[in-house]
Amino acid sequence: MKRYLSMLAATFFMLQAVQASESVKAYQNGTWAQLSKANLGEPLAVHFWGVTCAPCMAEMPQWGKFLSQNKQAKVIFVQVDDVPPEMVQKMLQRAKLQNANNFSVFQPFDDAMRYEVDPQWHGETPITILINKNGQWQRKTGPIQFAALKAWFLKQ
Amino acid sequence: MKEAILKLTYPASCRILIWTLCLLSDGTFAQMPEHDHSQMMDKASHQMMHPQMEVCKGTSLECANAATPFLTSAGQLFLIWTAGGAVSLSHSADLGMTFSTPVEIANHQKKLDVGSDARPQITVDPKGNIFIAYAFFKDSNWNAQINTARSTDSGKTFTQAQALIQGGASERFPILAADAKGKIHLAWIDKRVVQAANKQGNKKLGGSIAYASSIDGGVSFQAETIVNQESCECCRIGMALNPQQFPVLAYRGIFPGGVRDQATQVLSFKQQTSQGLPTKANDGVGPIQRVAIDHWKTDVCPHHGPAIAIADTGTTHVAWFTQGSARQGVFYANSNNEGKTYSPPRQLGNANRNVARPYLLTIGKEVWLVWKEFNGEKAIIYLQYSKDDGKTWSIAKPIAEAVGYTDHPLLINQNKNVFLSWLTRAQGYQLLSIGQAE
Repeated sequence: MKRYLSMLAATFFMLQAVQASESVKAYQNGTWAQLSKANLGEPLAVHFWGVTCAPCMAEMPQWGKFLSQNKQAKVIFVQVDDVPPEMVQKMLQRAKLQNANNFSVFQPFDDAMRYEVDPQWHGETPITILINKNGQWQRKTGPIQFAALKAWFLKQ
Repeated sequence: MKEAILKLTYPASCRILIWTLCLLSDGTFAQMPEHDHSQMMDKASHQMMHPQMEVCKGTSLECANAATPFLTSAGQLFLIWTAGGAVSLSHSADLGMTFSTPVEIANHQKKLDVGSDARPQITVDPKGNIFIAYAFFKDSNWNAQINTARSTDSGKTFTQAQALIQGGASERFPILAADAKGKIHLAWIDKRVVQAANKQGNKKLGGSIAYASSIDGGVSFQAETIVNQESCECCRIGMALNPQQFPVLAYRGIFPGGVRDQATQVLSFKQQTSQGLPTKANDGVGPIQRVAIDHWKTDVCPHHGPAIAIADTGTTHVAWFTQGSARQGVFYANSNNEGKTYSPPRQLGNANRNVARPYLLTIGKEVWLVWKEFNGEKAIIYLQYSKDDGKTWSIAKPIAEAVGYTDHPLLINQNKNVFLSWLTRAQGYQLLSIGQAE
């Protein structure tokens, strides 16, 4: 019985991993234009983070908590380090963000990709781009103030 | 994105004019406001098309994300790079026109550290003995390990890569230099202090600066010393040797209040024992000298370390990136008193472009300086040089450009001949002759 239960558990976790793996979409040159165009008319926060960035990793669980408490907030996460997808998944699961709207690069996050987001962004992480319903945007560098983020969404 | 619109609509002559004005104003032209742009997302910026590069797979130089050169005085170019999870080396007898069959030194697949500020390190002694160092992530919590390897046959074969620190916490961003006597100086970001603090419940970010040296070509290293407990954990370190052959480090320190500004530090360890060890653990650790009060109070990973070079006069030249409240962009300053005081920061490049990755080289009292600017379509490398130890500078001029992924620009020299070493995905690795020192 124990053997069947452990097989069932293993299958469950494998399925969960596959599902999670499919939920992280590829981010490449041009993705930013598509994202911002597709989301015009509603407030959007796009959070850029990396698994090798310690301040990012410290903050990600707070993003998970924020989304669980603010289900209407539209947030997109973009992982910018060139690392194995399974490692991205692991970090997302730790932060309870595996079901969020996730993107990740599969090549170096180069100058063009950064420039497309903000010509003055030099690659520091984490950053969050807040885009209001009119398409006006601002860059927040460093860990976000979640109370201020909530207020920003409510104001839109 | 006003600057993006400018680039799309202004003719080239106007852009040159803007650039010239920028130079005439000594780099203080049009600093960008900090972080909060509050501007309209415009269609024009979205119409800027970038080449859709296919993901380059494999361990060859064509797919490398970072390549580091070493040029011997006899003109032998050794190149080490990271690509496809491997660390590889090749050499060229014709200044990069052709390369030998690459030798794979190590392969860590996706665990290899290929962060935007990471690069493998190399030094070659006059006998052709090679010492290399690189970092990889050793566990699923992204703790890193620095490995080293040696070759005693000019790079045909290497020893098996081994850990610099056995059972360490996390070590990343090695930087090394060999002095005139062949002593290898190695510094890196070390997280033992931070991890110990966190284990005790004292929440702490950042890393520490560690240093060790070897007098046997890298076979063994003396016990390491933590020379500054408070540093950024995600920026490379710069290292140069002063006229006394002591290493001088430049790095992003963490100052009181969580301010991540640039520091330099002279490590004048004196070899007072028969093993070449300092008599006391901290004997020779110089004071932490702040290059400028940028006041970048932040908890971000900038992924953007500084460059340092020291002239024969002893003047220390530093270039760095900051997004501080006092200034934002890439800056240069120098010190003629071992870092006690620095000249006022001078901004490099066109503030309306994305200026990044400065690099410095000194030959005698000449200073050569390059950096990268991205204008939305291509990366352009700019060169400026000083014949008088950084007092006056030539007008900055573009010397290379490329679309797509590009590595940091690096400078090396063979005697008085100066070269730009630059890896780009579109054009491959290039060693460009850019001038001659007097």
